[in-house]
Parts: sequence; structure tokens; C-alpha cells
Amino acid sequence: MRTLLSHGENPKKHPRRRYIARSAGLQQATSHRVYAYRTHKLIAAVLIPALGCAAVVNADESMSPADPGPPLFSFSGFGTLGEVHSNDDRADFTSSLFKPTGAGYTHSWSADVDSLIAGQVTATFSPKFSAVLQVISEQSYNNTYTPQVEWANIKYQFTPDFSIRAGRTVLPCFFLSDTRNVGYTYAWVRPPVEVYHLLPVATSDGLDVSYRSHLGELADTIQLNAGGDTTHLTDNGGDSKARHSWGVSDTAELGALTVRVTYQYTNLTVPALDSFFGELRQFGPQGAAIADRYDADHKPNRFFDIGAGYDPGAWFLMTEWAYSQTNSFVTQSSAWDVGGGYRLGKLTPYVLFARTKADKLSDPGLDLSSVPAVLVGHAIGLNAELNSILSTNPVQSTGSIGARWDFVKNCDLKLQLDHTRLGAGSSGTLINIQPGFRLGGTLDLFSAAVDFVW
Amino acid sequence: MVSERASARTDRIRLLVVGLALSLASHAAVADVVAVVSAKSTITTLSKSQLADIFLGKVSRLPNGARVVAIDQAEDAPARAEFYLKLADRSAPQMKAYWSKIIFTGRGQPPEEVHSSADMKKRIAADPAAIGYIEESLVDDSVRVVGRVQE
Repeated sequence: MRTLLSHGENPKKHPRRRYIARSAGLQQATSHRVYAYRTHKLIAAVLIPALGCAAVVNADESMSPADPGPPLFSFSGFGTLGEVHSNDDRADFTSSLFKPTGAGYTHSWSADVDSLIAGQVTATFSPKFSAVLQVISEQSYNNTYTPQVEWANIKYQFTPDFSIRAGRTVLPCFFLSDTRNVGYTYAWVRPPVEVYHLLPVATSDGLDVSYRSHLGELADTIQLNAGGDTTHLTDNGGDSKARHSWGVSDTAELGALTVRVTYQYTNLTVPALDSFFGELRQFGPQGAAIADRYDADHKPNRFFDIGAGYDPGAWFLMTEWAYSQTNSFVTQSSAWDVGGGYRLGKLTPYVLFARTKADKLSDPGLDLSSVPAVLVGHAIGLNAELNSILSTNPVQSTGSIGARWDFVKNCDLKLQLDHTRLGAGSSGTLINIQPGFRLGGTLDLFSAAVDFVW
Repeated sequence: MVSERASARTDRIRLLVVGLALSLASHAAVADVVAVVSAKSTITTLSKSQLADIFLGKVSRLPNGARVVAIDQAEDAPARAEFYLKLADRSAPQMKAYWSKIIFTGRGQPPEEVHSSADMKKRIAADPAAIGYIEESLVDDSVRVVGRVQE
């Protein structure tokens, strides 16, 4: 049975539709990515004082000639060149909800989904005092590859097990979130979108404290963060704000086993849909009640994740479960994944399965019987719009098979096939939905990627 | 037709088995590698899990409070591949991935590198805090063997 989208316009020709589809597709925009225009200030704020202190600290802690210590500056980097093909040309598949296009509708084969390049400089002023700056270029909200600052912080290592960082860090929300851009560090082409869309990108400008304790063979690291950020949405989506963010993450390592548990709180404001909710509010108390239920104006967002990995060397298993709750149009979602692979020399075949569900894909909206006759048409339109926003809350599952081949030093090649089933009435994590797109259908993807580090 | 396909499959399996055997054999051909410290160091012996913690950057001090600094051989050195394979069941690409996670999250830097086993021996002999690894046949009285990574 074919279910057609209720509104058939081409989003590209109707900026407002595109605007809503994009901002709703945003999901938990709890994330806190900032773009170039804000970054210069931050880099200056973090690194200039750091460099200024360097001379003082170096003079303080002179080292013995036998131990030259680490070099003051180390440069490194990583990247991915990827191509993705989708069999559905009526919607775009993309890896991050901040990307405006992807594979399927915009391009049959898209390099924008996975390709990126990043450079990092680490300054080790003394054994205790260091700074890191990582700049990454990938397709961003405005379809450019303008470099963005992913990490920029100074770290003071009070003891080998206790450190504080100030500046920008990536929140350790998901099992792979702080290394999600470094394809070389994991087997799959990309972390499964089902799980990672729940909190798509999560850098935070603030403070981060890390404490490690040892209990026999067990190493336990607890990390606390506090901060906030502003995220620039699509071209006309405005800035979403994450205020008063704080979180706690605990990582336990015992031999080949790693378990990480995270809780993250954010107070979220997404102004992109304000005009829509403003129109709803004009329908008296019932309109206001619906708007209060679904708008994203200073709404608390609570996120919980537990992940585990077992990697004894020849094979590995990884699994995680995530849950996100907010009283806004993004409602509450949960997701899980499980995957594993077996290393045959340089070749690592793997399988991966991931699933996500959202609790609210539709709403009756305004009660038309209590709406003045002259406004019924407008009310029907608003109800349809509300439901189209809710239908972008992803419900989908994906099974993947693939292989990683470490064909040359510091470089891998990955090939992956994904088969995705969308939940009834859902367009899943897809964006740029076109007329004739089948809600609740299936999707096949082929991905090829080369990852490298230096 | 069917038998042709079946024989093609057994050929492929045979190829895979031979390939695996060769890759195992190439590891076995490498001489035994041992962990060494300076003859001037106070460290006498370390367990395999202590060595793993040191070389994976998890500890920089021993339980007795002594500072310890891991030194690596060059990325292409056979002794390095052998050492980490035995110590942590990790191949060179796996070790590179391990350190990439740490570097690109700003959590640390991999050990300092020296070019050869001879350089390693000089570097270790001169620094009581340093710990490295060399082929067992190269051990002399400037360094002390503190651990083995063989099963």
C-alpha cells in the first residue's frame, strides 16, 4: 500500500515548507555547534592567554636533559573521502541533521554525506598544561565547507588522573560521539544515524572536569561538563540555543570491556517554528495548549545513554541504547544499536543493526467543531502542518553489512550496504522529502569511504 | 555447473586458509621482544597488565610512585608490531586507531619514538624513568629486562 505525503509541494519552491521540514528534521537541536563567525573570538579567548602562559610555565618547570619531554607543538589530522548512493530519489539521506543535502534526491551519488578533513594542533606547554585546537571542514548548514572549530580548549592536568578543561569540547554523550568524525577509529562507515540523530552534534563551550580512579584492574573515569552554546540552523532557521547544559559521563574499562553511561541536561530554545506556533496561539486556549505542548521555547531536554564495547583484539562487539525526552515537537525518542566484526588480518567484515522510535508522529490538532466557520480552512492547514512536523520524528531500523580493509598504513577502505525500513507514517531521518515519497517505505544505500589519519 | 561453483568455493576457502597461515607464520618469524629499563632504574619486574597500562598511556606512575615514560620504536619497526600484538592483541592499524581516539579528543599524545632498537637501547640506558622494548638478542648490561610479553 502506498501512502503519499499529505502536502505535495516541492520544498525547494516553497521556502516555508523547506524551512519547517528542515527545522523539524533537526530533531534535538540540543547540539551546540557554532560556526565560523563565532569561532574566531573563541580561539582568541582560549589560545592567546594559553600561549601567553607558555613562556612562564616553561621557565617554571625546566626538565632534565635526559628527558626532553614531548615537543611543544604536535600536528596531526584525519579525514574521510566518502561516496554514498541511495536508491530513493525522492528524499535525501544524510549523516548529520545539520547537513542541508545528501544522497538520493539532490545527488544520486553524494560525497557530502561522509567526506571531511580536519587538522589539529596540540600544544604541550608543560607536563601539566596543554591546549588543543581542532578545525574541521565538512558540509555544513549553508552547504559550504567553511572550516569550523570542533575542539578548542586548554587543559590543566592537576595529577595524572585529574584534569580540568576550559573552552570547547565535544560532549561525550554517545559511545562514539567524541570520535565520531574520525572514521579510522571505528569499523563502520559512520555511527548509525538511528542512535546518533538523537543528539546530532554536541560541542559545548564551558568547563569539563575529568577524574580517573583505579580499582585493581578496573579504571573508572568520571567526567562532568557544564556550558552551553548556540547552533546556527539552516539558511533561514535562525539560531537555536542550548542554555544551562550540564552532564555527567562515567566510563569503566576492565581489560577488553568498556562501558559508558551518560546523562545530559539542556534547556533548549528552537525559534525556527515560532511563527507557526504564533498562528496556533491565535485560536484561543486550545491553540495555546497545543502550542505550549509542542513549541521549543526554554524546554528542558533530558538525554540518557548507555553503551558497551568488547574488543579482545581478533573480534569486537559494540552496543548502545539512548533515550531523549523533551516536551516539544521533537517529543521523546529512544534508539539502540548492536554491531560486531571479525578481524581477518587486514580485512574486517562486520554487521550492524540499529533502530529508533519516537512516541508522537501525529496529533488531532485543533478541534474544528469549536473553530469559527470562517477560520476552519486555516485551522485545517495548521493541523496538517503540525502533523507534517511530527511525521519527521524518525521511526526506522537499519541492517548493515560491510567490510573495512586496512590496505595501507594509516589508511582504510570501507564498503557498506544499508537496508532501512521506515516506520508507518514516518520519513525517518531522511530530509528534503519530495512529492511521491513513500512514508513507511524502505531504502537501500551503498557507501564507500576511505579514512586516513596522519 | 554446480560442482564447478562448489570447487570455486573450496578454492577460495583454501586461499583464505593459506593466507591466514602465512600471516600467522610471519608473526612467528619475529624474534622475541622484551620490555627493558635502564640498568640504573629501580624497576625489576613488571606484569603484562602493568606493561599494557604503561604503553597504552593509562598510567604514568608505578604503584611505588616512580615516574615511568614509555618509548616506542618507529611505526614500521618489526619489534613494535610484535610487541603490541603480544602485549595487547592489537595490530599496527588497531594501535593507530587506539591512539587516534586519544589524540583527537585532546586526551593525550602517543609515546616518544626512536628510530631503531640501537637508538632505543641508548635512550633507555640514559634515562632511569624510560621504558622500552627491544629484541631479546640485543639485551646487554646497559639495560635490564623487566617483562616479557610472550604467552
